[in-house]
Amino acid sequence: MEKFILPKEKLIDFLKALESYDLFAPVRKEEVTVFAQVNKIDGTTFDFKNQPLTPKGIMFPQTESLFTFDTKTYAMNDSAMTPKKQRVMFGLRPCDARSFLILDPVFKQDYPDPYYLEKRTATILIGINCSEPFTNCFCTSVGGSPASQEGLDLLFIELPNSYFVEVISPQGKTIVEEASSLLSSASPEEEKIKDEIVQAVKEKIKRNIETKHLPEKIEKIFENPIWKDLAFKCIGCGICTYTCPTCYCFDIQDEVLKGGGKRQRIWDSCMFKEYTLHASGHNPRPTRAERLRNRIYHKFKQNIDKYGVAGCVGCGRCISFCPVNEDLIENLMKIKKL
Amino acid sequence: MNLFSLKEAAKQALSQTEVNFVIGYTKGSYGFRVAPFFAQNEAEVEKLFFSPLCDLSLVNYLSLEKNTPLEKFGKSPEQKIGIFVRGCDSRAINQILSEKGIIREELIIIGIPCHGVIDIKKLEARFPGVLDQARAEEEDGKYTICFGDKSFAIKKEDILSDKCKHCAYPTPLIYDLLIDGKVEGKDDRYEDIKPQEEATLGEKEEFWKNEFSRCIRCYACRNACPLCYCENCILERLSPQWVKRSVNPTENVIYHLSRAFHLAGRCAGCGECERVCPVNLPLMLLNRKLEKDVKSLFNFTPGIDSEQKQFLTTYDLKDSEEFIL
Repeated sequence: MEKFILPKEKLIDFLKALESYDLFAPVRKEEVTVFAQVNKIDGTTFDFKNQPLTPKGIMFPQTESLFTFDTKTYAMNDSAMTPKKQRVMFGLRPCDARSFLILDPVFKQDYPDPYYLEKRTATILIGINCSEPFTNCFCTSVGGSPASQEGLDLLFIELPNSYFVEVISPQGKTIVEEASSLLSSASPEEEKIKDEIVQAVKEKIKRNIETKHLPEKIEKIFENPIWKDLAFKCIGCGICTYTCPTCYCFDIQDEVLKGGGKRQRIWDSCMFKEYTLHASGHNPRPTRAERLRNRIYHKFKQNIDKYGVAGCVGCGRCISFCPVNEDLIENLMKIKKL
Repeated sequence: MNLFSLKEAAKQALSQTEVNFVIGYTKGSYGFRVAPFFAQNEAEVEKLFFSPLCDLSLVNYLSLEKNTPLEKFGKSPEQKIGIFVRGCDSRAINQILSEKGIIREELIIIGIPCHGVIDIKKLEARFPGVLDQARAEEEDGKYTICFGDKSFAIKKEDILSDKCKHCAYPTPLIYDLLIDGKVEGKDDRYEDIKPQEEATLGEKEEFWKNEFSRCIRCYACRNACPLCYCENCILERLSPQWVKRSVNPTENVIYHLSRAFHLAGRCAGCGECERVCPVNLPLMLLNRKLEKDVKSLFNFTPGIDSEQKQFLTTYDLKDSEEFIL
């Protein structure tokens, strides 16, 4: 694996060297940081720290038109956004990069989903290590690390005055070659500093939970009254699912205007009242308890059964942004104690 | 605040056999967070508390059972629910009562005269990464914030919730049991919405389009709102579908303006919508402007009386009509 050093002041030049790609990065927009396409690098405020919103939407937009139709001519147009250019996503946190490895089989197996896959294969992922974990970060409990390479093509690790660049894949190598004049080879001393920094960040992660035997445990408690206890304070909003990098439920609706319309795919949330509501009026998950159970079952049981990996990267967003202190770790602890 | 009298009040409410549980506050799982708690017996009452960290309203739990039922405690129709309310919460309860949305006899209201609560977002921005359960106390215009072995004194106005800065009704207006003495309300002059009122139509359009464009439509503002208790919300209607599911600036504007209009003359000013928003939308600006307009045009303030008639259901010859085209 090749390793390079990029001085911090050359970061903007590095991004400019990638102008043949469409660039996506976390940028500051008023009150929040969002992952968005960057059209002009100068004047853009980048924010590589924690973000409330994940980069999931770049591959799997919250709202996506699958096609449009015209009711007069019966014409249909495929309107899904197929990337015209190769894309670079810069500044992902390692947890968010891992989330794409969890989403990939969902959109690849059974029914390959061209809308996700076209964007996914056209995107090179460049991560930046996590240097300031959230209060509720627990990536190390679910197989991650603040400097995990999983899912990434290149990983930048922040040193005091520079970035330590690890080349992970052939696509990552192409990127490095395009910006080669800005990079120098990393020395063993720099690698040592990097290792120390990564270790220090790992120690900053305070929250943890042993998740090894959770699936067997969860399987046995489907009818347990604990779900009511856990769900009683839940207000049924979509914050935990919409800020989650691995939640992928969606709804499909035809939005018709005069003379035509479009078929829209829109994120759904298992916390919503109308989620799995049948046309008959029956809902197999009628209360908050079944919905909260569904989310925990899906992430820590069904995803493992089907894809061999938990549907959680430990980013802690569902805990940090929950308005009523539904705490996933606390809830899992209570389940384990049963 | 005298915690003993708070717990005593909860115990007194629970000692009435017909009370099923008391909705109150308990310490959260980490840092500055506080969690809603549902105490069913004396032992559970010990977990209840109140401090300036209690920035959330509990009133929406009264209607949550109807909308997304859980029936955890198997409450029978004749049983009562006890609930902690601050000034703004009491206005929400009054307003719902006046709309016949809840039945007074089903509630035991434990009133907490409120000196203002801390904006947890401001506190977390000041002290990021705090995992230890924190405590907060107020004295002489200052908050003392303690966590781990650290203690900090912070000026009250620096971290006070915006909604509390102009609160005219800090003492609950409706209650069965009142904790501590009354707190004097402020003279609300709506200074906070002045910049919006002075802006041109174009500037306001630009401002709100920009704000709403980042809404992720998680509906936390609706679900946390004590006055958003409709069993069938307009948002879930499919035929006709008034608000499309697509998350884009147009539909987002329709969503928020529908909500704002439905809350005109009803919003109790508890600020829950703004508190829960994960993308920090300034929703109280809309609610405050509507409150001010309804007050100046119809001399109506929501929630000050549980019997008052709604301004839209009454007619007076002196009603303002200058806005009718």
